[in-house]
Amino acid sequence: METDRKDGRTPNQLRPLKCSRNILHRAHGSASWSQGETKVLAAVYGPKAGTKKNEDPEKACIEVIWKPKTGQIGKAEKECEMIMKKTIQSICLLTINPNTTTSVIVQVVNDDGALLPCAINAACAALVDAGIPLKHLAVAICCCVAEEGSVVLDPTKLEEQQMRGFAYLVFPNSALSALPEGSYLVNGEPLEHGIITSVTHGVMSVDEYLKCVDRGRAACAKLSGFLRNSLQKSQFPSDTSSKAA
Amino acid sequence: PSITLISAPEASMDSRLANTWRPTVNEKKFIETALASNLRIDDYNRKPIEYRQLTINFGRQLVQPYRERPNEGTMSIFTEFSPMADPSFELGSPGEAAIELGRMIDRGLRGSRAVDMESLCVLAGKLVWAIRIDLHILDNGGNLIDAANVAALAALLTFRRPECSLGGENGQEVVVHPPEVKDPLPLIVHHLPIAVTFGFFSTENTMVLDPTHSEEAVMAGRMTVTVNASGGICAIQKAGGVGVPQREIMRCLRLASQRAGLITKTIKDAVEVFNKERASRKIKRHSTSVAATVSVEDGITSLREGPHRQEKSNSNAEQTSEDSDSDVVTMQEKLSSEDVKPPTLLTDLAEPEEQQTSRVKKTTKDAVKSKKARTRGERRRAPT
Repeated sequence: METDRKDGRTPNQLRPLKCSRNILHRAHGSASWSQGETKVLAAVYGPKAGTKKNEDPEKACIEVIWKPKTGQIGKAEKECEMIMKKTIQSICLLTINPNTTTSVIVQVVNDDGALLPCAINAACAALVDAGIPLKHLAVAICCCVAEEGSVVLDPTKLEEQQMRGFAYLVFPNSALSALPEGSYLVNGEPLEHGIITSVTHGVMSVDEYLKCVDRGRAACAKLSGFLRNSLQKSQFPSDTSSKAA
Repeated sequence: PSITLISAPEASMDSRLANTWRPTVNEKKFIETALASNLRIDDYNRKPIEYRQLTINFGRQLVQPYRERPNEGTMSIFTEFSPMADPSFELGSPGEAAIELGRMIDRGLRGSRAVDMESLCVLAGKLVWAIRIDLHILDNGGNLIDAANVAALAALLTFRRPECSLGGENGQEVVVHPPEVKDPLPLIVHHLPIAVTFGFFSTENTMVLDPTHSEEAVMAGRMTVTVNASGGICAIQKAGGVGVPQREIMRCLRLASQRAGLITKTIKDAVEVFNKERASRKIKRHSTSVAATVSVEDGITSLREGPHRQEKSNSNAEQTSEDSDSDVVTMQEKLSSEDVKPPTLLTDLAEPEEQQTSRVKKTTKDAVKSKKARTRGERRRAPT
């Protein structure tokens, strides 16, 4: 029942992740995130004075600019921008700096599947690097549904095209706190069970979608552990041990 | 003394004005007095920190050649100042700075005939290869022209085009071979024109090489000289600015040709390293991928932690770019004493980090060993 993937991963296995922060000099915050061959670079500038025309001046405004690797900016890029903007808006504390604009610029360096989740992860790390106030972080993952109904995580571009359908899911990251467990429950469920964003392509049944959500959630728990580690470690520039084997 | 940048406060609602950054009066004075006391002269101590992302469009097409040059291929350069490079870069059609940059690099490459255009001809008068160079500026630390030029050259040197052969009844049909079938061919590059930029200041005969962003904001004139390693001048551009005595110009030219030799060597070394890696990657690609032992508990995915890079503090506004520790490209780390850093190529951004995965710490929580992606093919543990 488990499908054999071209690069030999099991259906539950993610590609190797890499995250680096503070790579650009001019940007207030920057991060690069890669999952396997897919790599995205995100830069954050902000907060800058003033909001755009149709935005609410009582809140901070988020602007997302998506730059594809080559080619003109078209509708697909605009859609990605909109999805990212809504996702980021839900994790930012918008009332802290009203009447300001924070720009998130996403540059696609290489696209080998799961591009939007990679971009969301990169943007999140960049926002942390810039010091933008956030409620919590977001971790994103792509789950796809194979022909026979099994769920495969983190597809490559080839796999994405061959699968029957796939879903990009964004969850809040798992919280680590000194407070007792009960305080982070929302309606009785832990915070990280909620879905911030879900975008699906292709055909899948409701059961398959729920399976995707379950798998995605488990994977995101791991991802948020990785993210936390990566963000914490980078604070100590003298720490050379992180590069050692 | 460290200097904090204070952006000029703008009361207007125009967000664009809020993006411009003008150095405060104090800064200007500091830079000028520092320069006057020879604090930084003739010191090509570093290339500006950023890296340019450069793509050579792999969908390069066969197109009709220009009428007056039916035997040559075409090359076009597109420059894009990404808003991530600088808060003052706006999205949209390139402004005059971007266009000037593109034109200067274009002139250096095309006018000096650095790339052999005739080898790009497939069918005289009918089909030639058109190459397109996309320059994406990721980070503006000053002196974009030099860095973009180096990026373009490095990309051209590492570019491979597919081989095509003529066939068909009357030899008019062209078959393009995909890279798996036949090895793609490199471009023929005769020489490497290197751009070297000088900045002039209004305080008597102060000249700097490779101005940083802050220096650019303060300087009174600039000159870009494009030379190749054998000392031939490909282009000189000095558009306005403060007048410079002849002696100074000659001195600049001499300095530039010295620098060009060093930079050419750096580029060639880096390209060689890249080519070796690419060749070794290709060989490994054909070998069967080795599955490391993977134990997966149901529902839990295996994960490999990426290397955590040293992050340099970006607090120093003067942009002294001794940032050798946090470069993304290991290629640059391999460069020895030379502080000149070639910008990363698009393909490179993916690669060097892969090299680092061999030095990765794994999450010790589970006994799960994750496996490398197929393309890397490094075998760290063979299955027993």
